[in-house]
Amino acid sequence: MNNDEMLKFIEEAFEENYELLRLEGGHSLSPHVKKMALEQVKHYWKKLRNLAENVSDTEVRLTLPQQKTPSGKYYTIQGVVDVVKEDDRTVMYDIKTHDVDFVRCNKKDYEGQLNIYAHIWQSVRGQHLDGTSIIAIGETEELRKAKQRASQANNEQILEEALTEWNPEVPIELEMEQVDAYLESFGEVVDMIEGFEFSPPPVEKLLSKVQDNKTFAVHVCRNCDVRFSCESFKAYAFSSSRAKSNFLAFYDDYGTEHERVEVIEANLEEEEV
Amino acid sequence: MNNSISLESLFQIHGFTPNEGQLDAIRSLEGPLFLMAGPGSGKTRVLLWRTVNAIVFHNVPPERLFLSTFTEKAAKQLKDGLQTILGTVTNITGVPYDISRMYVGTVHSLCQKIIGDRRFIKNRSRVKPPILMDELDQYYFINSSSFWRLTEELLHVKEDIWRSDMKQYFGKRSESRHDTALSIISIFNRFSEENLPVEKIYDYAKSKRDDTLLKIAKLYEWYKAKLHSDNMVDFSLLQQRALHQLLESEHVIFEFEHVVIDEFQDTNRIQEQLFFRLAKGNKNLCVVGDDDQALYRFRGATVENFVQFPQRSQLYLQTPPREIKLNINYRSKKQIVTTYTNFIDKVSWVRESGEGYYRLHDKNIQAFKQDNDISVITTTPSKSEDVAEEIAQFVRKLIDEKKVEDPNQIAFLFPALKNNQHVKRMKRALEKEGINVYAPRAGRFLEVEEAKAMLGIFTKIIGRPARQDFSGAYKDFHDWLDVIEGEAKELIQKDERMERFVAVKTEELKRCKEDYIRLLKTVSDNGWTLKDNYVPQSHKRILTKTPLISQQTIRGLGSNRLDKIIEQRNKEGKPFSLQYILNRATSVDWNVLDLFYRLCGFPYFSQMFKLAEDGLDEGPICNLSMISEYLSRYMEQSSSVITGARLIEDHLANDFFGRYVYGLFRIGETEVENDETPFPKGRVPFLTIHQSKGLEFPYVILGNPGKKNKNVPREEEIVRPLVEGDNEPLARIPEFDTMRLFYVALSRAEEMLIISNLRGQGQTVEPAFKQLLEEMKYPQIPNVVVTDMPKVEVKEDEIPKVYSYTSDYLMYLKCPRNYMVFKKYGFVPSRSQTMLFGSLVHQTIEDIHNQIISLRGDRNE
Repeated sequence: MNNDEMLKFIEEAFEENYELLRLEGGHSLSPHVKKMALEQVKHYWKKLRNLAENVSDTEVRLTLPQQKTPSGKYYTIQGVVDVVKEDDRTVMYDIKTHDVDFVRCNKKDYEGQLNIYAHIWQSVRGQHLDGTSIIAIGETEELRKAKQRASQANNEQILEEALTEWNPEVPIELEMEQVDAYLESFGEVVDMIEGFEFSPPPVEKLLSKVQDNKTFAVHVCRNCDVRFSCESFKAYAFSSSRAKSNFLAFYDDYGTEHERVEVIEANLEEEEV
Repeated sequence: MNNSISLESLFQIHGFTPNEGQLDAIRSLEGPLFLMAGPGSGKTRVLLWRTVNAIVFHNVPPERLFLSTFTEKAAKQLKDGLQTILGTVTNITGVPYDISRMYVGTVHSLCQKIIGDRRFIKNRSRVKPPILMDELDQYYFINSSSFWRLTEELLHVKEDIWRSDMKQYFGKRSESRHDTALSIISIFNRFSEENLPVEKIYDYAKSKRDDTLLKIAKLYEWYKAKLHSDNMVDFSLLQQRALHQLLESEHVIFEFEHVVIDEFQDTNRIQEQLFFRLAKGNKNLCVVGDDDQALYRFRGATVENFVQFPQRSQLYLQTPPREIKLNINYRSKKQIVTTYTNFIDKVSWVRESGEGYYRLHDKNIQAFKQDNDISVITTTPSKSEDVAEEIAQFVRKLIDEKKVEDPNQIAFLFPALKNNQHVKRMKRALEKEGINVYAPRAGRFLEVEEAKAMLGIFTKIIGRPARQDFSGAYKDFHDWLDVIEGEAKELIQKDERMERFVAVKTEELKRCKEDYIRLLKTVSDNGWTLKDNYVPQSHKRILTKTPLISQQTIRGLGSNRLDKIIEQRNKEGKPFSLQYILNRATSVDWNVLDLFYRLCGFPYFSQMFKLAEDGLDEGPICNLSMISEYLSRYMEQSSSVITGARLIEDHLANDFFGRYVYGLFRIGETEVENDETPFPKGRVPFLTIHQSKGLEFPYVILGNPGKKNKNVPREEEIVRPLVEGDNEPLARIPEFDTMRLFYVALSRAEEMLIISNLRGQGQTVEPAFKQLLEEMKYPQIPNVVVTDMPKVEVKEDEIPKVYSYTSDYLMYLKCPRNYMVFKKYGFVPSRSQTMLFGSLVHQTIEDIHNQIISLRGDRNE
């Protein structure tokens, strides 16, 4: 299977999966978001071809049943990983749709995850493991910029170079003694979900830095469609008097000029009259 | 085989003590199995454990199991249960199980899977699976102007004559396009579900000189061919396509070791053929069901599939099935069980020949709970208003005295919710007592407050179609538009910011439209046409000089970036048309979903989010989620970008309101089942009995003890002479189906069943109920002491829920509110990446891996 055949295979499989998931879940994606998803998969293939070709077990389902929340409810934890065995080394990978910079900045979250998974793999199932990594295939700021430059200069090479530079792998260290604490915290969250506690994070969290110099509000909230009706986000957005006097700007946020053009380009059909 | 654990030890770990019948069913894996499962007899658990038995103790690989459920929700529950139990096994024995390739889901999703799965394709080649048209898509397809045109051309008949023919043929009250489309859809689906060859319909119609049927057959033939050539299927043809594929190669009959079908009494003929085909090789076909709970004849289901399973098994598998009864009811108190078992025997089920019965007899259903409590009561016999008031006050007391933890533990069941005066009265009476009701299907969905407000504001921004002089449903729709426009006006007046926001959006659209018209003039003044290739050097300067166009539009025409792209495209021989450039320059940055999410920011809507955030009332947010779904469907059908071209001559308003919303408005009149109904916290649910299938509630109030409209379904009459089989006589169908319907309703109650004893004009009461109430002399509400009523708590799920680290834990930690909106209530996002995004990416990457692994395997061979 050459590269073009694989890309064609990806497109077909993608379409097929979309139809099936839509049927099972009854929900759909807007055309723009759907396109972004396909792009991510293609990037994965372009960049991580080597890894993909060495996967020995794909989508390994790890289950930890009979967990108990602090309030006494039973639940099961489930996770899915890929396992690569190469030259006697076994590594567990989890593929994320986030971008790698975000993952690096929030490594703590993933430590919990991979340590629980590793615990199931090693202690419960008794299998060998040498390391764990996150593969973050979301579009990074650099990739986004490179894409923009590539299209402005009409030079695909710029994007290709950025893809070469891009390192989506983040190794995660194993600290098995932490597993109990991670499980405890998981149970607390289950109790909150089942107890209908869904308030947004406080404004302070929105102002905290999650990545480089970006705040939670910029990195997370700006990508959230329901921010307009969110008390915390409003409090954040209207904190300055200038913003207060111009509430229209609040609703007028459709991303950068470039992003706006991109959306139109992706969705405007050519034959349309 | 695993020596270290036994089925019994697993039962113990998971706290399950099966009764004799259950254990027998769990252990019976060989050959056909006929499992008769009465209401509340624990069949979900039996199916779960039987599957565990097959996988763990008989080493059946999960991908060799086919398990069909009635809803996706039931499938999810089974999968969750399997993950949990198999996880326990893995952690004890170290043997991993992967159920991701197991066939478990609704018949429809399993058919879709079969079609795309190389295992079931001749030569194991790859086929492109068809695109699925769901019920809504099918409606818009059949009720489209192109389909009406096609009808005229194909049948050589004027549309109005055709519609009047159809009205008569189907005995409808109206000859509107809408009603005609519904008739056509129902008969098409029925043909497909019966797997009828077109020639057979032709032959029959000719022999009977039935000209209308001949025409319908012709249309059906065209419809099938059209869908086939577009690689599309509707729900019924999806099954036909899967069956045809399975009939093409013989190896498929051994692909599944076990085929298990839940709710078998509600399967149709084509499904039956599918199942027997899949089970033909290994003969391990287990069917589970209860003929007394058959409800889906209107979707082509035939209860005979279940009742006559022993004969059919003999015929198709050459083996009689083992029969096991699950007849102990764990759900309901004793008196409730006696009530419904007594009820079903109030009509005669003896066959016309006098020998045998049309239902499975001797079910011997027993209540597990041996209490002597009163658990069935009625209202004072009276007219609708009084009954509604009495019940509302009773429910108020139940809530006040904390007999229930949440109002959603009290369910109201009705044979039909639409066009039912008593439903409206009941709802009003409850609301008068300050009790919130969740009944989005009681009227049209478009009549709920949230939909009226949201779409009302839409009329203010994108406009609405002008009213023309028509009557009937068209008039109702325009009346509705008037109402929502009026309500929106009030809302906007009350919120100064919303008013300004709406004004700005309206202005943006006006600008796009006017600029587009001006640009059009420039195009025609210069003797160009919209189809011309756009060449920046010759067109751009002149276009930007168009008098009075806005800065935004000039910018849209002008970027260097765009020019470069165009240059490149011209070189490649794929130039843009002038039309494209005009559209691009005159489009707005937002789509209808963006608009929706922004409007949600104004207090009227944002307080609905707040109610859900605090776990107080989930009703409004469920409705908002539904609106997001409808808007996204609209964007799929039409284009998502709003351009000047779509704004001229009110194109957008006509298409959005005049076509799409009008379609929703009309469909909303019919009892379209919404199988995954939510039961929002904080509200008393109103359900059709159909919707209550498979569910249970501590308190059940039966709203109407009778069903209006008891005709033999017309599709049934048309199809009956075309199919073989020993079926229930047409004339008895309405009576039988009514008995089954109420049997389901009565058996939903756990602690208390309250029967509305309606009297007076316009009230239909089944003779069976009259007799029952007469005999049993149930206590009436005024004589019941609420303090003595059972107190119920929210039940723990029998099967523990499965949570994922990433899509539950981390998502919740990141933002509980975002988790709530997108994961819990399933809003369709406009721009955010959600769960579906993640699943889609992961699934496709998995396909890449599998593809590589299988290529590797091929090389090694």
